[in-house]
Amino acid sequence: MIIEKYGSMLMQALGKTLLLTLLSLFFAMIIGLIFSLMNVGKNRFFNFIGTAYVDGVRGVPLIVLAYFIYFGVPAGVKMMGVQDFRLSALQAGTIALAMNCGAYMAEIIRAGIESVDKGQMEASRSLGLSYAKSMRLVVLPQAIRTMVPSIINQFIITLKDTSILSVIGFPELTNLGKTISGNTFKSLETWAIIGIMYMIVIVTLSKVAKRIERRINFGR
Amino acid sequence: MADKKIKIHVENLKKNFGKLEVLKDISIDIFEGEVVVLIGPSGSGKSTFLRCLNQLEVATDGKIIVDGKDITDKHTDINKVRENIGMVFQHFNLFPHKTVLENIMLAPVELKIMTKPEAKEKGMQLLRRVGLDSKADAYPAQLSGGQKQRIAIARSLAMNPDIMLFDEPTSALDPEMVGEVLAVMKELVADGMTMVVVTHEIGFAKEVADRVVFMDGGYIVEQGPPQEIFVNPKEPRTIDFLNKVL
Repeated sequence: MIIEKYGSMLMQALGKTLLLTLLSLFFAMIIGLIFSLMNVGKNRFFNFIGTAYVDGVRGVPLIVLAYFIYFGVPAGVKMMGVQDFRLSALQAGTIALAMNCGAYMAEIIRAGIESVDKGQMEASRSLGLSYAKSMRLVVLPQAIRTMVPSIINQFIITLKDTSILSVIGFPELTNLGKTISGNTFKSLETWAIIGIMYMIVIVTLSKVAKRIERRINFGR
Repeated sequence: MADKKIKIHVENLKKNFGKLEVLKDISIDIFEGEVVVLIGPSGSGKSTFLRCLNQLEVATDGKIIVDGKDITDKHTDINKVRENIGMVFQHFNLFPHKTVLENIMLAPVELKIMTKPEAKEKGMQLLRRVGLDSKADAYPAQLSGGQKQRIAIARSLAMNPDIMLFDEPTSALDPEMVGEVLAVMKELVADGMTMVVVTHEIGFAKEVADRVVFMDGGYIVEQGPPQEIFVNPKEPRTIDFLNKVL
C-alpha cells in the first residue's frame, strides 16, 4: 500500500508545500501592499513603477519565472564574475511564487482601497491626520473587509501553484507524487491520494476564511 | 465686524478641475466668531470653495490665509492647520469600522493631543452635548442619519477647532432629522465658533448667519447680512435664485 510505505514522506512533502506557500504568501503580502500603495498614490513615478511591476509579472507564466530565477539568475550572476552563486529550490521557489502572487495581491489590495468611499480619507485628513495615518487607520482596515474573499482565493491559488515548482526539483507534494508513481507504477492511487491531500487542506482553509469574513462585519 | 480679528483671508482664489474653471476669482475675509452662510445654485462652486478652506481641494491660484498662515504655501504643515479647522460633510463620513466613541477619540489620541482617558472623557462630554451618550459603543451603521451627523460634529469638536466648516450638513437627512442637527449647530453659534456653512436651509441662514454670501458661476455675486440679502437682494441673479428657493 502506498499510504503505509510512503505515509511519512507524504506528510513531509505536504509540510514542504505548506512551508513554501506560507513563505511566499508572507512576502507576497508585503510586495502587494508596497506596489498597491504605489498605484493608488498620486505620484506619477511610483504609479509607473507599480503598473510596470504588476503588468510585467502577470505577463509571464509562473513556470517561466521559476526557471528564470532558478537557472537564469545564477547564470547571470556568474557572468558578472561571481562564482559559486546558487539559489536553493526553496529560495528560488519562494521568490518566484512571492513575485507572482504579489502582483495579483497588489491588484486585490488596490481594488480594496479604491472600494472605500473617498469621503473616508477626506474626513480623516480634515481632522489633521496625515495621508499615511489615514491610510493605515481608516482606509486599509475597511479595504481589508472587501479584500478578504479575494485574498483567500489568492491564497488557494498560490497553494496550488506550489505544484508548478516541482519542475525545479523542490520536494513538495506533486514532486513526491512523480517519484511514487514512478517507483510503484500505481498512477491512479498515487495521484488520487495527492489530489485528496491538496483538497483537504484547501477546503479547511476556505472554511476558516468564511469564519473570518463573518467576524469582520462591524455591526452590520 | 470691523473691530474683530480676521480669521480667514481669501485673496483671488481660483480652482480648476482640468479645463473646468470652478472658482474664478474669490476674495473674502471671514472674521473671528462670524457665521458665514454660502448659498447658490448647484455648480456655483460653493462646496469647492469650502473645501479649499482646509485644502481638501488644492487651490489652483490665489492665497488663503488662516490665522496668519498661508495654507496655499507648500511649506505650510497643512495637517497642523487642519487640527484647528473642523469639517462636517453631507454624507457624514463616520468611520464604519469604529464605534461612535472610537470615531471621536481617533484623531486626538493619534495626534497625541490627548491621552486615551482624556480623549474618552472629552468624547463622552461631547456625546452628552449632542444628546447621544447612550450610543457611545454603537457602530455608525446602527444610527439614524441625524444621529450620524451629530456624531460627526462631535468628532470634529474633539480636536477643539476654532473654525468649523459645514458642507451641506442636512442635505442627506430625512426632513424630520434636520432640526436636531441644526439645533447642535445653533449651540455652536451661541458659543462663538467661527463657522462657514454651505446649506439650502434658508431658515437657518436667516436665523443665525452674520453674513450670507451668494455665489454663482465661480464668483461671489452678492453678500451681506441675511435681512439684506433675503429681503432686499440687489443683483438680478440673486433675485432669480431666491425666487426659486423661497
